[in-house]
Amino acid sequence: MQPVMDDEEDESRADVSGEIRLPATLAGTGPLPDKAEIVIVGGGVVGLAIAYYLARRGMQDVVVIERGYLAEGASGRNGGGVRQQWSTEINIRLMQESVELCRRFAVDLGVNVWFRQGGYLFLARSTAEVARLERNIALQNRCGVATRMLDPEQAQDIVPELDLTGIVGASYNPTDGILFPWPFLWGYARQAAARGVKIFTQTAVTGLEPAIVASAAAGGTGGFTVHTPRGSIKARRVVNATGAWSPQLAKLVGVDVPTYPIRHEICSSEPLKPFLRPMVSELASGLYCSQSMRGEIVGGVTLPGHESTYAMGSTLKFLSTYARRLVRLMPILGDIKILRQWAGPYDQSPDGNPVLGPAPTHPDFFLACGFVGHGFMMAPIVGKLYAEWLTGGAPHEIFSRYRLARFTDGSGAAQPKEDFNIG
Amino acid sequence: MRGEAVEVRIADTSVRAFADESIAAALVASGAHVLSRSLKYHRPRTFFCLEGHCSGCLVRIGGVPNLRACQAPCLAGTEVMGQNAFPSAEVDLLGAVDFVFSRGLDHHTLMTGSSMLNRLANKVVRQLSGLGKLPDVAASQHPEVQRYDVDVCVIGGGPAGLEAANQVARAGRSTVVVDDQLRPGGSLRTDPRAGRALAEATWRAATSAGAAVLSRSTAIGFFPEDDGGVLAVAAPDRLYRIYAKQWIWATGGYAANLPFPDNDRPGVIAARAVGRLLVDHGILAGDRVCVIEVPRMVDAASALAAGLVEAGAEVHRVALDRVEGVRGRSWTSAVDTADGKYDCDLVAVAAIPAPASEGARQQGCQVVLDPTVGGFKIVVDDLGRTSTPNVWACGDVCGYLGPAASAADGARVGANVAAS
Amino acid sequence: MTLSDLEHSVSRGYQDIEEVKRYTGFGTGPCQGKECLALVASELARLTGQPPSTIKPFTSRPPLAPTPLRLLARDPGAHRFDDDREDG
Repeated sequence: MQPVMDDEEDESRADVSGEIRLPATLAGTGPLPDKAEIVIVGGGVVGLAIAYYLARRGMQDVVVIERGYLAEGASGRNGGGVRQQWSTEINIRLMQESVELCRRFAVDLGVNVWFRQGGYLFLARSTAEVARLERNIALQNRCGVATRMLDPEQAQDIVPELDLTGIVGASYNPTDGILFPWPFLWGYARQAAARGVKIFTQTAVTGLEPAIVASAAAGGTGGFTVHTPRGSIKARRVVNATGAWSPQLAKLVGVDVPTYPIRHEICSSEPLKPFLRPMVSELASGLYCSQSMRGEIVGGVTLPGHESTYAMGSTLKFLSTYARRLVRLMPILGDIKILRQWAGPYDQSPDGNPVLGPAPTHPDFFLACGFVGHGFMMAPIVGKLYAEWLTGGAPHEIFSRYRLARFTDGSGAAQPKEDFNIG
Repeated sequence: MRGEAVEVRIADTSVRAFADESIAAALVASGAHVLSRSLKYHRPRTFFCLEGHCSGCLVRIGGVPNLRACQAPCLAGTEVMGQNAFPSAEVDLLGAVDFVFSRGLDHHTLMTGSSMLNRLANKVVRQLSGLGKLPDVAASQHPEVQRYDVDVCVIGGGPAGLEAANQVARAGRSTVVVDDQLRPGGSLRTDPRAGRALAEATWRAATSAGAAVLSRSTAIGFFPEDDGGVLAVAAPDRLYRIYAKQWIWATGGYAANLPFPDNDRPGVIAARAVGRLLVDHGILAGDRVCVIEVPRMVDAASALAAGLVEAGAEVHRVALDRVEGVRGRSWTSAVDTADGKYDCDLVAVAAIPAPASEGARQQGCQVVLDPTVGGFKIVVDDLGRTSTPNVWACGDVCGYLGPAASAADGARVGANVAAS
Repeated sequence: MTLSDLEHSVSRGYQDIEEVKRYTGFGTGPCQGKECLALVASELARLTGQPPSTIKPFTSRPPLAPTPLRLLARDPGAHRFDDDREDG
């Protein structure tokens, strides 16, 4: 198996015949395998990316367990934004690599994800917001991201529909982009399965039992027994990639993960002929919108005062707030019709950064959660780095920087806070 | 039956139409056929349901894209344009998509062979995507928002809803009926056995009993977020926020299509739409009409056929399982059946209407798929109560009954609500 | 969507109605499934051999009909941000 840190396309891509057939195990009712080297819980983009890259590294004894259907959680509910405009160096650098992987995804994985680099345009309505953007731009430029500050008229050159009233500046990076989330998951699932990974949907994990260690000399802990209604699997290692449900899964082995679910709403308009090139976002309200490959305007706005909830209902307050802000920003959209609104859970972490690496009390229980609504865009690179580490590679710095213990041992305070979680 | 004459402009041609009728009706009467092209295969699209629920008659009206011609009234000077076709909706060069990919197009895997090919695919697909262009000008209108606090809100102003509202209003309950059509009456306006006069009388009776009946007012969602839940209702000039102690879903069913080859050809339209044109607008939409029907709809199809024959059309009725295909690309010219070819200039599909239950589902009402009555029907008990407290349902949304039986069901459930 | 789109989707392993919706795009266009949900659900039951009563509809999402942004933009229920103008 070729190493992963290659820059050429995935020559080993399987099943290029042109049809996305999901793994046969998906809808099956058959029994689970008795054991596996790694069980990944969560068939969202993070879990499937890890599975795919593990398989590419030659690790085939991997089982993915998904409670519902693929893309049922936040992975199937997000706006598909992929950007490099962040406020911390680590996130900028990670996303530079993710963007590269997104660019190659359709050809590497054999499925169209309609990745389109139309840029991201962040609009500022105050000098404080401009200062914040300028700070970020300086950092992004140091990392090699060509973000630049625009005056309002320059922003309007890119999006002529903008009403500039109250806009004082903007940041723009032309290589940020958007993609279509669902096929992303199917591509990982199909290519992982083609290399031997087994994926089971409609299968909930009901128990997670640490094995009793017969002898510490035998090499650490004895892994886990993963219980489901379809049978149990003995797993040497377990990866928790259940997004907003991560605290619940971790609880099964007594691990406290301090992330919590926050409902974020989003909506989609009727399809229109292409007119909007970049993703447009306004810092003051967290408003964002982009035009999908099908022509729909997909976007949302940040409602303050979210309580922690798994309820994924839609609200009129969201729809009205989004309409108010969007029509104010682009008055020509007043007669554009909303077709559909929905919601998805952010896995909110206390410091806005993900939770990665093993649980301190269970070195074979790995966390891949706390992505605060940006797991989709980070999944390609995080999945790749995780797979390298789990197959014997050196751990990337994210696995120490973002470890769970930072919340209890005080080391988290020294970390730069990511404050550019939008939407 | 058609009202005062007005001039509307359709694709830059002046067309004589009548006030009070829909632009779709004017289009049918003027012989206009293809209105737009479908999103994926660029197949010719034209009206199907004439009830504001399908996407067949989306046109550009007064510079605003994607409006339903069947829900827009003819006003003097209205400008109507087709969309999503080049150079015109009748002759669309992109219709080649349908020939090139005649065995179906899996856009998920299209052109993933190389980076260069894939970048090209992305560019081409983006240019082909979308229905309609941005509006010509920004809307200057500032719609109002109006709040209603009532005892009973009835969703749907067809036979069931109007009769139910009549009962509860007569019992002294403050009642509002929201109906999405140009005028209330629902399926009464589509069935020769009922007729426009009965629709008007049923509407008047509900109003006389004290119910407020809002036309062109579409329930867009039930949101449980505040004050026990709000029903948002969109009208052309305002948004209503409706708060009620009791809710009655009487949304009827959507005119559905049947599964047979070529069922999406222009000229294949819902039997109820053919009935609506005849009963409500006085327009005979075809001279030789082929009615394709299923056993459950034989009575309705018979009534429609009788009405069409009386108006001077020739009618041929064929059971769904005898249909082998439809001929005619820009408009239907014949139906192939197991018993031979039947030349026609209109195909009327008499399918069981599909219960319009998704609004009730937002209130938590249980539904069950029952193909024998059209689809996902709301589950109700003997009194008409749904699985959600204070939420009731009646008429075709609980499974197809037909206009007369729906009216009776609405009156019965309305009386139960009044007595509760 | 066409019957062959549905058959194709089922043959690829997308058999849950939510998955069929995502794979084929049915129910996401201007009619939001009003034209086709009942028919697709019935055909899905037939193709997969499941009893109709076990097929659930996909989640009902507001708005139930296409709704212009300008109708919603003046709703008093909208959240006001610090910089929201009074005249809205």
